[in-house]
Amino acid sequence: MMSVLRRPGLLLSVAVTITVPSLFAALAVLGHERPIAPSAAQAYASSSGAMAVAPGSPVGVNAFLARPEEPAMSLGDLRMSEQQAQGMQLLDRAAMSGLTSSYQGVEMISQWTVDGAITVVSTVWHRSGGRTVTQTANAAALADSQPYVSYDGDDHDPEGVFGVTTTLVGLLRTNYLIEYQGMGSAAGRPALLVDVQRADGSLAARFWLDKQTMLPLRREVFDDDSHLLSEDAFLQVQFGQKAAQAGIAQAVPASQSTWTEVPDPAQLVKVLNAKGWHLPAALPASLSLYAAAQCGTATGQVFHLGYSDGLFVVSLFVQRGVLPAKMAGWQPTSMGGHLVYVGQHSIAWASRGFVYTVLTDAPPQTVNTVVKTLPKDTAPGFLTRMGRGLARLAALADPFK
Amino acid sequence: MSHLGEELSALVDGELTGTELDRANAHLAACERCRAEAAALRDLKRQLRGLAAAAGAGLGLGTRTGNGETSARSLDEALTERLMAMGPGGRQASRRLRRDAGRPHAVCRVYSTRSRRPDGTRRAGPRPGPGGSRPGGARFSRPQPPRPGHTQRLLRPRLVLPAEKEQRFRARGGRLRLRPRGWHLIWSAVSLVVVGIGAAAFSMGGGTAAAPGPKITPPIEMFSVEHAITSGDVPIPDPTAQVPTPESTP
Repeated sequence: MMSVLRRPGLLLSVAVTITVPSLFAALAVLGHERPIAPSAAQAYASSSGAMAVAPGSPVGVNAFLARPEEPAMSLGDLRMSEQQAQGMQLLDRAAMSGLTSSYQGVEMISQWTVDGAITVVSTVWHRSGGRTVTQTANAAALADSQPYVSYDGDDHDPEGVFGVTTTLVGLLRTNYLIEYQGMGSAAGRPALLVDVQRADGSLAARFWLDKQTMLPLRREVFDDDSHLLSEDAFLQVQFGQKAAQAGIAQAVPASQSTWTEVPDPAQLVKVLNAKGWHLPAALPASLSLYAAAQCGTATGQVFHLGYSDGLFVVSLFVQRGVLPAKMAGWQPTSMGGHLVYVGQHSIAWASRGFVYTVLTDAPPQTVNTVVKTLPKDTAPGFLTRMGRGLARLAALADPFK
Repeated sequence: MSHLGEELSALVDGELTGTELDRANAHLAACERCRAEAAALRDLKRQLRGLAAAAGAGLGLGTRTGNGETSARSLDEALTERLMAMGPGGRQASRRLRRDAGRPHAVCRVYSTRSRRPDGTRRAGPRPGPGGSRPGGARFSRPQPPRPGHTQRLLRPRLVLPAEKEQRFRARGGRLRLRPRGWHLIWSAVSLVVVGIGAAAFSMGGGTAAAPGPKITPPIEMFSVEHAITSGDVPIPDPTAQVPTPESTP
């Protein structure tokens, strides 16, 4: 015994040998009862208000299969718990409610974007099965009483509130664990709380769904370190055709959106890449290609590709051309050793004859990872640079030019 | 009695033959005066021969002809040397003349700070001293400064070969490397131009490659609306975008 104490390395090895298997055994026992441990951020969640759902639904299988390193995983664990099944069903109903409900409300949206925090207040009118009109103003614009008005057509799917759409909920189900957490309140109305968790159990987002209509009333999104990334909430909301019709009736009729949806985004990427474009079929951080659209502009065709993991959306706009030397409102900066221009919630750069613009609400680390993977010009080699310089010198010295 | 006169000189020189020689010898036998003049002429001639022989033996230049007489050329050179020795600095000039006399290409000698072999390589080792003629040294005109610090050290390298030597040198495949002073200026100018163009090309070759296509400032307002539609969220106005006119749908 004394010889062991005189050798701390041996003692440490013995301790690790005993502790590690014990921890794995404990995790296995606990994991059998509950696959994902609750995070500290769940402490304030209430635990009442269970919904009538079907426990044991096989949804969320991909979320487990994507992380095979999880210990003590078995086929039995692929079955959702009752709370998870409830959470799934609630989000599905919330996505449908965004389409079918008629409402008018005032939203406050706070985001921490790539260029700092931003808070905007929007008034939204939505008619069931009809149009959505949004009048938005940020703090500066409010001072000038100059609203920012936009709309989307009722036939433009997906359409939702706080990112809860049918398509995104499907991706959310694939990449996260959804769990009903109980009752709460938002915008002065009783609400149901649904948590979205990562595989490590950390809280990624929390939704407050109106108990009566299932319309999302509030959303909070967190990063990997449980820092709040965005907070969207209805400050006040009214339901009914009458409330929704008031704002829509005052809106000036406008032409249809010039964007045309592409039904098969993957096929579009394949075709364009065959023509010399450089478009990714997927992005890191489990961001899948889920939407595509194209639009004709005065400067050429613009393609929009939407990537998402269900919670964060990265929109990539690509068109042929080059960026001007200076762009008002854009800050040139270096990202991964390449020159990019950063707007408030957008990043733009030019490469190989194409202009790329990224709009996203993803956290900065995800944005960095995504931008690094997209095509950018690399520094030319010595011979390439000399050849290019000689060509430019010759062009300058050309008397016939 | 008439004396021999002009014939006496011819007799001493051995130019009389036949009856003229018999008549001159008969006169000498009878005339004391002519015998004395003939003896004086012969003595003078002997003295002259002795003088030429002594000069040729002292310089080592004289070459004897088949009949034992010193060649006219050697005699002329000896006389010339003696005449030069009488002037100012005569001994040094005389030595230089003697040194150069045995070098058929002395007129081709050049002074230079460099010495090269026919193949253009530089000669290693100390430079031979003045007057050092090697066996076969005349094959190539080896530059030899007369003494250290001489002003001719500043002369540019110049290779001068006699015509026959140059022909032999070229026949062996050698190349005469003439490097006039202007070449250095040309090389300097060319180097400056090349370095300047290279630096300018490297500087102008930076940045991104010129690509075809229009110059585009991303229409961020249009993109924001499209992003909001696909993400199921509210469009966030961007300060970089212009405020659009209100529009809606029926």
